[in-house]
Amino acid sequence: MPTKTRDNDPTVLILTSLASGPKHGYGLLLDIEEFAGVRLGPGTLYGAIGRLEERGLIEPLSADGRARPYRLTAEGSTALEKTLAELRTIVEEGTARLQVQFS
Amino acid sequence: MRLLYAYPPAWRARYGSELAVLLEELDGGRRARLDVVRAGLVERLRPLGLGSLSPHARAREGSLLVLYAWTLFVLGGFGIQKASEHWQETTPGGDRAVPAGAFDGLVVIAAIGTALVLLGVALVLPRLRAAIRRDGWEGLVRPLGPAAWLSLLTAAATGGLAAWAHTLAPAARNGHDAFYDGAFVAWVLLFAVTLFSWSAAAASIARRLELSNTLLRIESLVAAAVVASMALMTAATFIWWSSAHGYGFAANVNVIVPVAAMICATILGLIGALRAARAVTLISGGLTS
Repeated sequence: MPTKTRDNDPTVLILTSLASGPKHGYGLLLDIEEFAGVRLGPGTLYGAIGRLEERGLIEPLSADGRARPYRLTAEGSTALEKTLAELRTIVEEGTARLQVQFS
Repeated sequence: MRLLYAYPPAWRARYGSELAVLLEELDGGRRARLDVVRAGLVERLRPLGLGSLSPHARAREGSLLVLYAWTLFVLGGFGIQKASEHWQETTPGGDRAVPAGAFDGLVVIAAIGTALVLLGVALVLPRLRAAIRRDGWEGLVRPLGPAAWLSLLTAAATGGLAAWAHTLAPAARNGHDAFYDGAFVAWVLLFAVTLFSWSAAAASIARRLELSNTLLRIESLVAAAVVASMALMTAATFIWWSSAHGYGFAANVNVIVPVAAMICATILGLIGALRAARAVTLISGGLTS
């Protein structure tokens, strides 16, 4: 099955952020900016949150004030592991090829 | 917040307040506002299959398309029921075996199809209860408003039409009174709009529920079974139509229109069931889009 994940895919960034614990929208934006250097737009963020929730990869918690935090589900954790393994393969292969090319 | 109107109502009801809080916290500039409008338009296009619909959402939309198809089929079924009221009187006793068998089969399959649709609804009730517990009644009940009002209007119109019909001679009730015919057609349209408004309300609520992959798979199977029942009923209707005297394939608008509705509904349902079936095969828990 073809996967369409990219290293800057908002869904991967959100899952990675939630891997360290539940966060609400603003917390996610700050965390993603800190670890990935990517500033997601608010519409992009909630579009991705909606898709991840639809697929059961994240779930909402009770509202914290006016904001609602989200956390990773077991399915989301498995999906993130799978995606990171795919990315790792690409990184290792790319690194190895570059070393051969320039050594 | 006016920006949120870029999104469809169901999306706004689910995520609108959260996004509004985020926009306040960000104090976003033009770029953030443009991002919200773009994302809102994408959400509006998703039900049409033009946005980036996930396999999960495609499975849900496919099953909901079957629900809409069933609604159209029910309308066609009512038409057949009305048109077939006197078929025994025009068909000699010796020729009744085939049409009677087809008609009885139609009734039995209709009962099975109805039971399947109710099963599909019953399966999501626990998720509905969970959504009510999480988000409260308000957002979920709102889509029912137009359907409830239309139902009241239809009930009033039905009462009025029935009272009028009692004052008319049988001939006038059966095509010899243009005003009554016009009122009857208007009532049929109102009834159709009311039925579809209930389907739209059910679809709107279903889009807000968190459905597991397993539940979506079961729903897609139920949807496929519903479509199979529609195909069988259409076939049974054809057999009855071709074998009942006085209802032959010759131009009989009272039968042609309902049968056309049944065929269209079956094709629409088939498209929905196939979309749902293809989507559930893609759901693997990975980040495939």
